Amino acid sequence: MYKDPVVEYYKQFVDLTLIRENLKLTVEQRLIKLQRMVEGLEELQKAGRELRDKESKAQR
Amino acid sequence: MTEFGRLLPVLIQGNVRFILIGGVAAAVHGSARATFDIDVVYDRDPQNIERLVRTMQEFKPYPRGAPEGLPFSWSVESVRNGLNFTLTTSIGSIDLFGEIVGGGGYKDLLPDAKTIAVFGVQCLCLSVDRLIQVKRAAGRPKDLEVVAELEAIRNEQKNQRETVR
Repeated sequence: MYKDPVVEYYKQFVDLTLIRENLKLTVEQRLIKLQRMVEGLEELQKAGRELRDKESKAQR
Repeated sequence: MTEFGRLLPVLIQGNVRFILIGGVAAAVHGSARATFDIDVVYDRDPQNIERLVRTMQEFKPYPRGAPEGLPFSWSVESVRNGLNFTLTTSIGSIDLFGEIVGGGGYKDLLPDAKTIAVFGVQCLCLSVDRLIQVKRAAGRPKDLEVVAELEAIRNEQKNQRETVR
């Protein structure tokens, strides 16, 4: 069977421990986990934007 | 913020025919990657387009990233005249695909869609095998990264089944 070398290269970066944890969950639990992750990331993005704004104001 | 637990039931309760694809479908199969929007392939049948437009109307769909004030109207006509839509709504971001590269439209993908029960509703989600095929066809580096993870998930599931035997 053909193996795409690019896909094979990316496989070394796949964290199997995270996948194993997810496979223990129900589909709904996986999506709730995703929702929480997204909420957390959006909070971090917001904090990052605020920090950049603050720093750029301080430089003026 | 995309409310996955709200958007999916809204579409189902509006009797919209669609198949979940993309990052959320990957999460359904066990992916650990974050995604900020919902990608679906919707049925281009005229009645389904009417249901889609009616259902999404109250959430004010608008082209994502476009400047405010464009003469965009969310209507049956605009969906009929278009095909794929990248939208922001009051309950989150949703990408609506009439067709996808390597997969075709709703009816082409239907044989490879699985019913999942989530957030109190049942909806269709593309199988892991077909998701790998369409991601491979899309071919962007980020798609191939997802292919790598989905293939790892498939191997993991296979190993788990063999261990149980």
